[in-house]
Amino acid sequence: MNTAEKLWPWKLLLAVILIVMAAGAWGSVSRIDYEWRWYRIPQYFFYKAEDPLKIPFDGTVEKITPTNSTSSVMLLSETGENVEMTVDTETIKVSEGEELFEGDTVGYHHEWSPGPLMTGLWTTMWISAVASVLALVIGLVAGLMKVTGNYTASSLAAIYVEIIRGTPLLVQIFIAYFFIGTVFNLDRIVAGIGALALFAGAYVAEIVRAGIQSIPRGQMEAARSLGMSMPQAMLDIILPQAFKRILPPLSGQFISLIKDSSLVSVIAITDLTKSGREIITSTFAPFEIWLVVAAMYLVVTSVLSQFVFYLERRLAISD
Amino acid sequence: MIKAENVSKIFTGRGVTVRAVDGVSAAVEKAEVVVVIGPSGSGKSTFIRCVNSLEKLSGGHIYIDGVDIANKKTNLNKIRAEVGMVFQQFNLFPHKTVLDNLTLAQMRVRKRSRKAAVEKARMLLDKVGIGEKESEYPSRLSGGQQQRVAIARALAMDPKVMLFDEPTSALDPEMVGEVLDVMKQLAREGMTMMVVTHEMGFAREVADRVLFMDQGKIVEVGTPEHFFKSPREDRTKLFLKQVL
Repeated sequence: MNTAEKLWPWKLLLAVILIVMAAGAWGSVSRIDYEWRWYRIPQYFFYKAEDPLKIPFDGTVEKITPTNSTSSVMLLSETGENVEMTVDTETIKVSEGEELFEGDTVGYHHEWSPGPLMTGLWTTMWISAVASVLALVIGLVAGLMKVTGNYTASSLAAIYVEIIRGTPLLVQIFIAYFFIGTVFNLDRIVAGIGALALFAGAYVAEIVRAGIQSIPRGQMEAARSLGMSMPQAMLDIILPQAFKRILPPLSGQFISLIKDSSLVSVIAITDLTKSGREIITSTFAPFEIWLVVAAMYLVVTSVLSQFVFYLERRLAISD
Repeated sequence: MIKAENVSKIFTGRGVTVRAVDGVSAAVEKAEVVVVIGPSGSGKSTFIRCVNSLEKLSGGHIYIDGVDIANKKTNLNKIRAEVGMVFQQFNLFPHKTVLDNLTLAQMRVRKRSRKAAVEKARMLLDKVGIGEKESEYPSRLSGGQQQRVAIARALAMDPKVMLFDEPTSALDPEMVGEVLDVMKQLAREGMTMMVVTHEMGFAREVADRVLFMDQGKIVEVGTPEHFFKSPREDRTKLFLKQVL
């Protein structure tokens, strides 16, 4: 069958369907009275922060040295103290020799600063990263406990997995913050990351268990027959092979974790979702903001899944 | 070298109890080649797996060089390092190259340096005739080549005894010969061997003694001469008639 010949009608059909859906969405939105204000969005990524520089004492302006767009202003206090300030040249409000009182504005300094969307994204990313590492450790331990065959260990792991998988993450976050957090005086960030890690850890544990059990028994037997101990065989033989197999489900779990991290906004952690909500209260542009926030999550998760795809192909050399 | 006394292995599960090995006593002397034959389900594979404790004994004792492996105080890892095992399914480590398959346990268990381990590995790979494949992954090798690597991997530990659990049963017929040749060479060099196999030719040619097992018990023991020319038991006669 010549697939190249038969593919283009389907591509066309796909394009038509997508265009129809987009047009439908566009049509529905146009019927309601909503004013799109996309021009307001960029400032929430980066904005030029204006930082007023004020003299910290009573004194005089000793010297102004212009260098390109900024100038360096030397200030001398009555007690002989020296302070240098970097000010944007156009905004200098003083001249050499002028006498100033404490708190007078010397000039302004403008700097590009990340807006709430970027700081929110950063919070989401580092919270997810820390929670992922912890989840991997927790899941590995719990998964290994499940396969050891020791009754106590495997029961403990099973209870943990059952409790976590049987309750909603949102409720777990509330319990972690309002109950456990109050008892142990935990910071909201610690409670949030802890809840996310425990939640994802339960799923990772099941993935790890399935991965280990998918490795043929003969591998463990061969390793043991060579005199390797159980931990050595696990570390050198079973886990590397299992890891390769569980990489796809594991990455799916971490992508879920990034998305689930949006729930920590309910305990007032200013992640990407919370930032979006805060921006909306001041802009009344919910459509634009939520679409942008969704797109930002999508970018992060797509980058991660592409990276895993690359990793999978690199690990496939021994197949 | 190996002494088994009244060994039994009972599998239980779902209300069914199977006496896979039922009161077997046998011995393998130093430099002796003992071949275990018998119909499938006779417990011969289970028995050989008991010898290095891959199956825990349900009863009886097995002594390797005088050490009882059924004793809880025995360090099984130490014993297993002295007992090489070759499996029906090869069980090479698929994520490691041929060379790494041979060096890993040498370094981890025998605590050899990488250099010494590699030297030993190369020598053995040459010996089994696959020196040029050392950087390949097992999946790129034929069944016969994989099994020869598996033999070399076991030999790399300098074992006192080699156990073979149906080493040629999973091979395509044209590859059986190359593996048997390696085993014959080992036997000639004086390796102590216990071999579970269906290769009657090998048993006849290489074995010092043949054990015939059926239904978990040893039915008859003898030299190949005795075994293939004038077997005593009816069960043995029937089996030989079916396979020869």
